[in-house]
Amino acid sequence: MNGVPPSGVRAHLPGAAKARQEWRNRLAELYESWGYQPIELPGLERYDSNHPRAEESFKLTDRDGTLLALRSDLTPAVARVVQRHWPDYASAASAQRPLRLHVQGTVWQAINPEITRNREITQVGVEFIGVRHPRVDAELIHLARESIRTVGLTPRVEVGNPGFVRALMDEAGVDSELRVRLADAIDRKDVGDVQALLDMGEIRGAHANALLAVPDLYGGTERLKEARAFVTGEASDAALSYLEGALAEFDDDSELLLDLGMARRLSYYTGLTFRAYTVDFSQPLLGGGRYDGALLPYAAGFSIGLERLESAWMLAHEGEEPAQVLALDDEGAHRLRKAGIPVIRAISSNRDAAINEAAELGIPWLLADGDVHAVAPADGDALTSEDEADRAELLKILGGHDA
Amino acid sequence: MPDAETRPLVVALPKGRVMGHALDALAKAGLSLKLADDDRRLRHETPEGTVLVMRNADVPTYVDLGVADVGVVGKDVLLESGRRLYEPVDLGIAHCRMSLIRPRGTHGTLNRIASKYPRIAASYAAEQGHPAEIVPLKGNVELACLSGLADAVVDVVETGATLTANDLEEVDVIFESTARFVVNRAALKLRASQLRPLIARLREGAKS
Repeated sequence: MNGVPPSGVRAHLPGAAKARQEWRNRLAELYESWGYQPIELPGLERYDSNHPRAEESFKLTDRDGTLLALRSDLTPAVARVVQRHWPDYASAASAQRPLRLHVQGTVWQAINPEITRNREITQVGVEFIGVRHPRVDAELIHLARESIRTVGLTPRVEVGNPGFVRALMDEAGVDSELRVRLADAIDRKDVGDVQALLDMGEIRGAHANALLAVPDLYGGTERLKEARAFVTGEASDAALSYLEGALAEFDDDSELLLDLGMARRLSYYTGLTFRAYTVDFSQPLLGGGRYDGALLPYAAGFSIGLERLESAWMLAHEGEEPAQVLALDDEGAHRLRKAGIPVIRAISSNRDAAINEAAELGIPWLLADGDVHAVAPADGDALTSEDEADRAELLKILGGHDA
Repeated sequence: MPDAETRPLVVALPKGRVMGHALDALAKAGLSLKLADDDRRLRHETPEGTVLVMRNADVPTYVDLGVADVGVVGKDVLLESGRRLYEPVDLGIAHCRMSLIRPRGTHGTLNRIASKYPRIAASYAAEQGHPAEIVPLKGNVELACLSGLADAVVDVVETGATLTANDLEEVDVIFESTARFVVNRAALKLRASQLRPLIARLREGAKS
C-alpha cells in the first residue's frame, strides 16, 4: 500500500492543478470586487460535539490528550472566528453593520467515499454576516450565478425556502413525530406518501392541499405565483414574501430555478437556500443559504467545491489544449510571459535540437534569436492562414517592445 | 447543436417483467421508447430517449449519479440502496410486501436474520428492538430458515406460494412495495420543462 493515498482523496496533476489555481484566483477577484474581505482559517480545530458535521469529522488527539478535529466545513469555522474577533456579531441586538468575508480552504469529511463525493474537498466561499434582508440574499444568489460564469460554465441557480414547508407544517399543526416523516416525503416529492401521512395525521382542507401541492412547486420563477394560492397563515405568507422580495431584484431570471418543496435540514437553514448547477452536469456545484441563529444571529453564505467543478469542467472542455511556446531566447520569452503567454524554457542549446524538443513535446512554436519558428509538421506543409495569424500575433508582442 | 437541456432523456430500466410494464406506462404517458428486438442489448438509442437495461438493484445508482436522468425501480430496492432520489410517481405495478418470515409456529427472540436486503433488515431489527445480527445472502433466503443458518428472514412476498411450500409463515409486514418512477435530483430541475408534463401524465395513468 506504499504511496497509495487513502480512499476519497487524490492528487491534482498539472492540467487540473492549473485550472484549480485559476478558478481560485478568479473567484477571489470576483468576491473582492464585491467587497468581501479574504480571511484564512486553521485546518486543525478543537473537536466540538455540537459542530454540524461532528459525526463526519476526522478526529485526532493532541499531545495532552485533547480531542482535535480536521476542519470539516468552512462555514462553522468562519462563525467561530467571527464570534472571537467581532463579538458584536454574536449578539442579535447589536448586529446591523454588514460583514462580508471570503474564505478558501480544504475540508476533510470522514464519509463513505463514492465517485461523486471526495473526502478531501477544497472549498471557496463567501459569508454575509450581521443582516437579514431579501437584498442580502439576492446579492448572494447573484454572486452564486456569477461564480459559475466566472469559471467558464453556464449557470443555473436553484432557489428555495425551507421555511415555507416548515411554516405550512406549523400552520397545519403537524406533530413532531409525523413532521420528520412528512418533511422527508415532501423532500422526495413522493406525493403518494405525503397523502398517506396527511390521512394518518387527519390533516384536511387547505392545509392538506398546500402540503400536497408543495412538492410540485418547482421549475421556473413562475411557480412563485402558484405558491401564493397555498398560503395558510402568517408564517407561510412571510416565508413566501421574503423569497418574492429576493427574486424581485432580478430583471433577468432566465437562469434562476425555483423549488418550494426543499425540506432538508429544516432546523439548520432558516431562510432561503440555493444550489447552483451547470447544464447537463447532474451534481450541484455550489450550495448555501441563510442559517440565522444556527451559528450566528444573522448569517448567510455559500461555498463551491473545486473537485465537482473539475468534473463538470472536464465534461464541458474535453480535449482543449493551450497554445505554447518553447524558447531559446530568454529575453523574448520574458516579453511573451509578461503578455500572459505561457513559455517553456528549452533544455536544448541550439536551434535544431530545440525544434526536435518542441516537436516531441507537441509545442507548436519555437522562439529563437528574436524570431518565431513554426515547429513544422513532418511533411513540411506550408503554414495555414490561422497559423500565420498566430505567428504574427507573437511577433507583434516581441517587436512591440523594441519599438 | 441541440440544446443540452432538451436532449432526449436517459432512462434506467430493470431487466425482466417490470421493464415491459414500465415501457407501457411510459408509452401511455407519451414517451414511447421502441426497443430493438434483441434482448442481449444493454443500451438502446431511440429517437425519444436512450434506455439502459440493468439489474434492478443498480437502477438507483445510475440515477443518483446522473448517468440516467430517470428510472423505474421497486420501492424495496430503492430503500435498500439508501439513495435519495426524487420518487414523484407510484406506478402501482410490481406490488409485493417486505416481510419478516419464520418457520411456522416458531416464537422467541430473533438472534440472526438472513436477507437479500441487509439494510432494511437491520433497520427493522433496530426499530423492533431485536439485537439480531444480519446475514446478507444473495438468493433463496428461505433456505436460511430451513437449514438453521438464521431464525428468520426478511424478504419480499408476492403470492406466498414459496412460503407455504416450505412450511414458513409471514410474521410481520414491514412495508408494501410498488414500482416507482424515480428522477435524478439535478435532472428534475434542469429538465423541468420535459419532466413536469411527463410526471403529470404518469400520475394520471397510474390512477386509472
